[in-house]
Amino acid sequence: MATKVNMPKQGLQMTEGTIISWLAAEGEQVKEGYPLYEMETDKLTIEISAPASGTLLKIIRGEGDVVPITETIAIIGEQGEDISGLLAEIQSSGTGDNSEETAPAESQKAGVGDKTAAASEAAAAGEPKAEGLGTGTTAGSPAGKGPFYSSPRARWKAEEYGIDITTLSGTGPEGMVVERDVQAAAQNRPKATPLAQQSAAESGIDLSGVEGSGPRGKIYRKDVEAAHRAVSGTAAAGTAARSYREDRLVPLTGMRKTISARMRESLDTAAQAVHRIDVDMSETVRMRESLKAAEVKVSYNDIILKAVSLSLQAYPRMNSRLTDDGILELGAVNIGVAVALDEGLIVPVLRDVDLLSLKAIHDETRRLADRARTGELTQEEYTGGSFSVSNLGMYELDSFTAIINRPESGILAVGAIKDKPAAVKGELQIRPICGLSLTYDHRIIDGAPAADFLLSVKQLLENPYLLV
Amino acid sequence: MSRKKYSVAIRDVIAEEMRSDPSVFVMGEDIGALGGVFGCTRDLQKEFGKNRVRDTPIAEAGYVGTGIGAALTGMRPILDFMYLDFVYVAMDQLLNQAAKLRYMYGGRATLPLVVRGQQGIGRGNAGTHSQSVEAFFTHIPGFKVAMPSTASDAAGLLRTAIRDNNPVMFIEHKALYASSEEVPDDPNFAIPFGKAAVRRQGKDVTIIATSLMVGRALEAAEALSKEGIEAEVIDPRTLLPLDLDTMLKSIEKTGRAVVVHEAHKNNGVGAEIASQIMEAGFKFLDAPVVRLGAKACTLPFSLVLENAVVPGVDDIHEAAKQVCYK
Repeated sequence: MATKVNMPKQGLQMTEGTIISWLAAEGEQVKEGYPLYEMETDKLTIEISAPASGTLLKIIRGEGDVVPITETIAIIGEQGEDISGLLAEIQSSGTGDNSEETAPAESQKAGVGDKTAAASEAAAAGEPKAEGLGTGTTAGSPAGKGPFYSSPRARWKAEEYGIDITTLSGTGPEGMVVERDVQAAAQNRPKATPLAQQSAAESGIDLSGVEGSGPRGKIYRKDVEAAHRAVSGTAAAGTAARSYREDRLVPLTGMRKTISARMRESLDTAAQAVHRIDVDMSETVRMRESLKAAEVKVSYNDIILKAVSLSLQAYPRMNSRLTDDGILELGAVNIGVAVALDEGLIVPVLRDVDLLSLKAIHDETRRLADRARTGELTQEEYTGGSFSVSNLGMYELDSFTAIINRPESGILAVGAIKDKPAAVKGELQIRPICGLSLTYDHRIIDGAPAADFLLSVKQLLENPYLLV
Repeated sequence: MSRKKYSVAIRDVIAEEMRSDPSVFVMGEDIGALGGVFGCTRDLQKEFGKNRVRDTPIAEAGYVGTGIGAALTGMRPILDFMYLDFVYVAMDQLLNQAAKLRYMYGGRATLPLVVRGQQGIGRGNAGTHSQSVEAFFTHIPGFKVAMPSTASDAAGLLRTAIRDNNPVMFIEHKALYASSEEVPDDPNFAIPFGKAAVRRQGKDVTIIATSLMVGRALEAAEALSKEGIEAEVIDPRTLLPLDLDTMLKSIEKTGRAVVVHEAHKNNGVGAEIASQIMEAGFKFLDAPVVRLGAKACTLPFSLVLENAVVPGVDDIHEAAKQVCYK
């Protein structure tokens, strides 16, 4: 009896997934519980195990395909088994599923804040659930075969290894995931990101010789590129270097696709103008050192967020969005904080920042960043911002220009804090200087009030005791 | 070190303690001229006289009561039970008096009392001479309970028991009396209560076994090893206090546990150990803790049936494989 391999639902928000690569070819033997293909959602990239053992008879959806959840993407069965009937059935039902599934996916991409989008979002949240019930899929059951069980020890070990236990197939009683299943997954797990693997294949680099910079030695693309640079000077790498120079087509999928559309939409819509200013961070540095000595952990970014939040409170126009009915000055100060990820970036939102203590800002930022990196953010956690802050201080940039994260109307780009010569009361001194760059929507904010806002941020950072 | 039988190790510790402490004395049935049915008091009366090695009538409640009174007034009696099955005759003295007196006197009295004797299968002694009584004494607060499985442990634990100011139930095993091993000669050799012994190291499954079952667990572990399963065998040595830490440390490593005792499985000490493991180490467990114990029936007279009722090497072997999902 042939088994259908269906696009799994990997989270409440998931409506479709992109197949990155098949790890087995048609006609090859596959084993239940062992990785079969890699897929990407708008939040994460994961390996999915085969739901059954046998021959991979047919790959229905190829690499790069965007597939709605529950749709069949492959068939596993016995060598020579007749699956023509099954294929016909899939083809006839597949298109029907498709049209239903894409509707909520589209609405999710629409701008947040306009009323129709909010309404269709609610629909999106409800719709996949109904779909799941209709096709007999239970949340948390990867193979879609009833309830999911795991032993306490399997859960403990999975957490230790950073493995999503719900993606595993169990070999214990009643299909329970037990420790050995987690150990097998940990051993088979690629120690490199898909991009790193691709990059290694193209540049002829053996991954076993590459030192990973990620947690538990996970290899990132930049590690492969560094390894490649290290050998590309030598004659032995001649052929590898040639293939590295070949063009590479990366399908525009998942998070990249979302970012691409949103950035274009932002520049098409808002009238983006930029102010930039240098801030003397001497007092902020001093305050942070004092806090550090008192064992209160606070980052510069936390202090900047606090200064921005108080300035937004004082200049509500910066904390607004343009709607069909007029300029909506938002009551709450919710600041998006850009977090860079391997596969792109995401902007989790810190709520009511002006009401939070520095320590609370610190804890909440870290919590959201951690969740962003592990792909656990819920939609509520990355929408609903009123302003954004993007900090690339760790990259030694003096300053840079950011693009507004619509429907917000402003974004502050924070550069590195660098020791620079500064004129202080007619004398030349070395001071820690930070370059701030404010991008604002000139349709609703004029140059002078934007400058007032930026000056307010500067004054707070130069006199950080006003933050308390 | 001297190589000694389990029974001789016990006799020697009693003799040494009687020599060094004149308040130590022994009471029981047939312990004087006969030297005890199993030889645990052999020749003691010759050395210490009839006052300190006292034969009693067949009246357990009577001499237990006498012993409690002696202990309250400063003596350190050792009460000998020919068969521990007979404690049931003296339960009022043991559980209503001995177990409770220190508490009821507000801690102002001490009760340095040792109740010792043998129990269990091995001789076809039938239903009223083959039982395992430990659960009664771990259930009612007041007693410490020791269950040595080797000659050396019997010596070290008995010395600790005699020197303890609380009543101790010291449970020996008739089928272990003839087993022998090297026992330290040091007249102060003592093993603290509440420290389990890891009898065998292993990484795949933890077998917790008491008394006679320790040997069977080790035998099962050797068989398991041939099949690629390395069992860690832990002997708690005392059931109260119980060394949960050593067991949890092992289970953190192995993820699986089998608890084996000769006493009835139903409401036995194994249930308590399994519960404590689950309460404190749930996340370590890859499988439910499995208990093995005697079936819920009276111990038979027939040696063949006796062995069919209590866990054997094969039962332990099977249970270990079961929790390893093999």
